[in-house]
Amino acid sequence: MDKPEREIDSSLVPAVGRRTFLTTAGVAAGLAGLEGILAARRAPAFAQGTKLHIVRWNDFIPEADVELKRQAPEASKALGAEVTFEFINANDLQPRITAAIQSGSGADIIQMLWNWPHLYANALVDVGDVVEPIGKAQGGYYDVFSSTAKVGGRWLAVPHGTGGNAIAYRRSWHEEIGVKEFPKTWDDWREVGKKLKAKGKPVGQALGHSFGDPPTFAYPLLWDFGGAEVDKTGKKVVINSKGAIESVKFMQAFWKDACDEGGLAWDDTNNNRAFHAGELSATLNGASIYIVAKRQKDKLKNDKGEPLFQDIEHAALLPKGPAGQFALYGAFQHAVMKYGKNQKLAKDCLRWLHQKENYGKWFEVNEGYTVGATKVWEDSPMWSKVDKPLQVFRQAARQTRMLGFPGPASAKATESYTKYIIVDMYAKAVQGTKAEDVVKWAEGELKKIYEA
Amino acid sequence: MKRPISGGAGSAAGLEVALPHPRTTQPGGFTRFLENERLLAALLLTPTVLLLGVFIAYPFVMGVWLSLSSTSVGNPGAFVGLKNFVKAWDDSIFQTAFKNTFVYTFWATIFKLALGMWLALLLNRHFRGKRLVRASMLLPFIVPTVLSTFAWRWMFDPTFSVLNWLLYQSGFIVTKLPFLSDGVWAMWCAIVVNTWRGMPFFAITLLAGLQTISPDLHEAASLDGANGWRRFWHVTWPLLKPVTLVVVVFSIIQTFSDFQLIYVLTGGGPANSTHLVATYAYQIGVAAGLLGEGAAISLFMLPVLFFVVWAQLRYLRRMEGA
Amino acid sequence: MIERRWKKWVFFYVPLTVFVVGTLFPFYWMLITAIRPDSELYRSWRAANNAPFWTLAPTLDHFRDLMAKTTFPTWLWNTFLIAVASTAISLFCGLLAGYALARLRFPMAGLLGTAIFVTYLVPPTLLFIPLADIIRTFQLGNTPWALILTYPTFLIPFCTWLLMGYFKTIPRELEECARIDGATRFGAMLRIIFPIAVPGILSAGIFAFTLSWNEFIYALVFLSSPERKTVPVGVVSELIRGDIYFWGQLMAGALLGSIPVALVYSFFVEYYVTGLTGSVKG
Repeated sequence: MDKPEREIDSSLVPAVGRRTFLTTAGVAAGLAGLEGILAARRAPAFAQGTKLHIVRWNDFIPEADVELKRQAPEASKALGAEVTFEFINANDLQPRITAAIQSGSGADIIQMLWNWPHLYANALVDVGDVVEPIGKAQGGYYDVFSSTAKVGGRWLAVPHGTGGNAIAYRRSWHEEIGVKEFPKTWDDWREVGKKLKAKGKPVGQALGHSFGDPPTFAYPLLWDFGGAEVDKTGKKVVINSKGAIESVKFMQAFWKDACDEGGLAWDDTNNNRAFHAGELSATLNGASIYIVAKRQKDKLKNDKGEPLFQDIEHAALLPKGPAGQFALYGAFQHAVMKYGKNQKLAKDCLRWLHQKENYGKWFEVNEGYTVGATKVWEDSPMWSKVDKPLQVFRQAARQTRMLGFPGPASAKATESYTKYIIVDMYAKAVQGTKAEDVVKWAEGELKKIYEA
Repeated sequence: MKRPISGGAGSAAGLEVALPHPRTTQPGGFTRFLENERLLAALLLTPTVLLLGVFIAYPFVMGVWLSLSSTSVGNPGAFVGLKNFVKAWDDSIFQTAFKNTFVYTFWATIFKLALGMWLALLLNRHFRGKRLVRASMLLPFIVPTVLSTFAWRWMFDPTFSVLNWLLYQSGFIVTKLPFLSDGVWAMWCAIVVNTWRGMPFFAITLLAGLQTISPDLHEAASLDGANGWRRFWHVTWPLLKPVTLVVVVFSIIQTFSDFQLIYVLTGGGPANSTHLVATYAYQIGVAAGLLGEGAAISLFMLPVLFFVVWAQLRYLRRMEGA
Repeated sequence: MIERRWKKWVFFYVPLTVFVVGTLFPFYWMLITAIRPDSELYRSWRAANNAPFWTLAPTLDHFRDLMAKTTFPTWLWNTFLIAVASTAISLFCGLLAGYALARLRFPMAGLLGTAIFVTYLVPPTLLFIPLADIIRTFQLGNTPWALILTYPTFLIPFCTWLLMGYFKTIPRELEECARIDGATRFGAMLRIIFPIAVPGILSAGIFAFTLSWNEFIYALVFLSSPERKTVPVGVVSELIRGDIYFWGQLMAGALLGSIPVALVYSFFVEYYVTGLTGSVKG
C-alpha cells in the first residue's frame, strides 16, 4: 500500500478513486500545484528556465546592439524562454563556431558572415521553414543569399542583412585640390590620392587579416581588372592571368603613391579611428564612419572645430577598372546549430526577430549600415529621413558579387577567404615582391584548396 | 626526542624537528601495505598519472590520429596518412612560420639570458630599496601576457603610437616607424616584447642561483687578483651553469610554443610574416576549421622540443658525471 | 675614491635605472591610459596637442565603466577561483609525485619521471581540439571545471620537478631516523618531510597560480558565456567592440586584472626566491 507523501484535500480528488490518484500522483508530490505543471506542459511555452543563447558580432553601429538587447526581454516574453544576446568581436566568430561545434555545446544561434554556412554545413539545421515564408512576405531575398545561405538546395541559415560599403572621403580636402566629384576610375583615384598624400592626407586601406575591410577591397580590385580566383565551374584555378597581374601592379603603385603604409597592420577598426582623427582623406568602409561621426559630433571635429560628419561624403562604389566596377558586400545570416537543444525555440525566435515591427526598429537604428536581406526594406520610410550621404546604401545589396566569383560560393571559396590568400597577395606585393611572383604564389595556394 | 639537523645552505638548514613517538604496537594492515615502497609509490603517483593520462596522454593520441585524418569542423574525417604533414611542409606560410619560430626563440632566449644575467648580478648587491626593486622587476612576468601585450600593441599603434610621438618630438624621425606594419619590424617588436616579459623570470631564478654561491669564493678570487669580469667567468658562471641550463630549457619550451603574444600583438600579420607554428596551427585548425591540418602543424613542434630536452639531459648528465 | 664612485655610477646605477625604467614603463603607460579621458586618448602621433605622458584631467571613468558595464568583477572572481582550484590540485599531485620520484625506489621510476616531464612538451595548440571532445563527453563545456581539470596538465609537471628538486636536498637521514624510531614511511613523509618543504610548496604554488591566471587558449576555447570568462579572455573579447578598442577600459582592466597576482607575489616573493634556491641546488 502506497503511503501518500503528503496530505491531499479529498475535495480535489476526482471520482477516479483516491488510491489510484494518490498512486499516480504521489510520486510527483512535493510540488504544489500539480495542475499547474500539467497546464504548463500543454502550453506552447518551453520548460521553465529554458535559455536561448544568440551570438553575434559587435556591431560597428553600437546602437544596433543596444536595440537588440532592448528587444531581448520582449522576445523572451513572446517565446516563454529567456533570450540572451552575446556580442563578440567579429574576428572571433569563426574560432567560436569551431570550438562550439567540436565541443558540442555553445550558443543556440550563431551569426554567419559571408558564405560560412557552406563551411559549417554539416553542423547546421535546415531552416527552410523559417526562410521561405519571410521571403514571400517581404518581397523576396536578394540573389546573393541564394549562394551564401543555401547549400545543396537547402536553406542552412536565415538571411538577416547586408553590409554595404562605400568610399568615405573628406569633401573639403578634395575640393581644395579641384576635385568636385569623386574619381571614377582607379587611375584617377591614384592621381588624386597622390596629391593628397603629398599634403599628408593619404588614402587609408587595411591589408591585414581582418574579416571586413581587407576582403571588401581586395576582391573587387581583382575583379575590376578582370582577374578571378577560379573559373565558372569553381574547379579550375585561373588566378594567374594578365588581369590579376595588372591589378597587383596597380596596387603596388597605388600603395606607394597614395596610401598610408601602416595599413598592413590594420584591422577593421584602424581606418575608422584614423579617419576620425583627421589622418585620412578617403577610405573604403561601411556607413559606420559617417554614422559614428554624426552621433559623436561633439567629440569628432575637423581642424576648424566644426563637426566632422558634415565634411564626409560617400562614393557609392569603388572606382572602375578595365573590366568593370564591382563590389563585395557583407552577407549576414543566422544559423541554428545542430547540437543545440532548443532548435524549435531558435526557429521561433528568428521568426520573431524578422517580424516587420521588430526588424524594422533594428533596421532604422542602423541608418543604412546594414540593410535588409529582403527587397521590401528598400522602400522603408527610413530612407527619406536619413542624411544624403547615407542614401547610397539603399540598393547596395543588389549589386554585390560573392566570394568565389565566378564559381559557386562553396566551402572552398570560404577556405580561401579565411586564409586571406587574395588579401595577402596584395599585401605581399606592396611589401616588395614582384607582381608575377606574388600571383604565382597565390596560384599555388589556391590550387591546394580548389584542386586538392 | 629532538635532534638537531645540519643540512646544506638550502632549505633544511638549522632546523629542529620533533620526531613522533616511537611506536609500541605493530603497524596495522593498511599501514604495512604502505611500507612497501612500490605500493606507496603507486598510490602517490596515481592522482598525477590519472590526471595527466586523461587530459594529456589520451588527447595526445587523439591529436595524432586527428593529424593523420582529413577531419574538419563538423565533418568526421577519413584516414589520409601523412598527407597533412606533406601539405604543411610544402606550404609557404608554414615554412615562414617554422622559420620565424626558430628566429623568435633564438633571439629572445639570448636577450633574456644576457639581460637576465646582468640584472641578476645587479640585484645581487645591497642597495637601498633592493626589496622593492626586486619585487617590481617581477611585474612583467606576473601580469597576464595578453594584457601587457595589449599595452605594447597600443604603444606600437600605427596611428597613435607614443613611441613614434617620442621619436618625432625629439627629432629622430620624420615619418613614422612601421612597428607592426612591416614584416621584419613586427618580428623584432615581438622579440622585444617577449624579452621584456621573460627577462624577469631569468633574473630572479639566476639571482636565486647567485645567492647560493658563497661570498667567500668571490673573496678568495679577488684576493688572487681576479677583476670583476674574470671573477664572473671563472667563479660565478661555472657554478651557475646548472641553473642556467634548466631555466634556458624551460624558456625555450615556452617560447617555441608561444601563442598568446603573437596572437594579441600581430595576429600573425602583416601578411603572415610573424606567424609562429602555434598561431598558424590555430588559424588553420580553429579559424578555418581544418582540424586535421591544424593538428599536423602543431605536431611539427614536438621533435624540436624533444631534441632540446634530450640535449639538455645529456649535457646535465655529462656535467654531473664530470 | 672618485674613481670608484664613477665606476659605481656607470656600472651599477645607470644600468639598474635603465632596467627599472624599461621594465616599468609599460605599466606607467597602462596607468596613464587608464586614467585619461577619452577625448585625449586618440590623438595622432603628429598632433601638436598630444601630451602622452601625463594628463591634466585624470578620470576614473574607465574604471567605473569597466566595473559597471562589463562583467569584469565576475571575470576576476572566476579567474581567482579557477587559479586557486587548479593550483591546489597541482600542488597535491605534484607533492605526492615529487616525493615518490625523489625518494622511493621502484621500477620504472626514471621512466615515469621522464614521462611526466615530457608531457610538459606537448603543445596546447595540439591538445585543445581533442580536449574539446573530452570536455564534451564529460559535459564540462562552458563550466569552470573544464579549466580546473585541464590546467593541472601543464602545472603538475613543473610542480613535480620543483618539489623533486626540493626533496632531494633534504637528507635521507631524517627519514631513516624517523623510521628507526618507529614511524611509518607514510607518517614520516607527512609529518617530517612535507613541513620542511613548505617553502618549496609555496614557491611552486605561486608559480602555478601565476601560470593559471595567465592562461589564455584553453579558456578561450572552452568557455563561452560572458559570465564564465576569465580575465584574459574577457578583456580581449569584450573590450574590443567593433570599431572601438576601448583602450581606456582595456588598460584599466589590465591593471585591475594584475592586482591579485601581484598581491600574492608581494607576500610571497621571499619564499619564492628561497624556494627556487632550494630546488635549484637539487
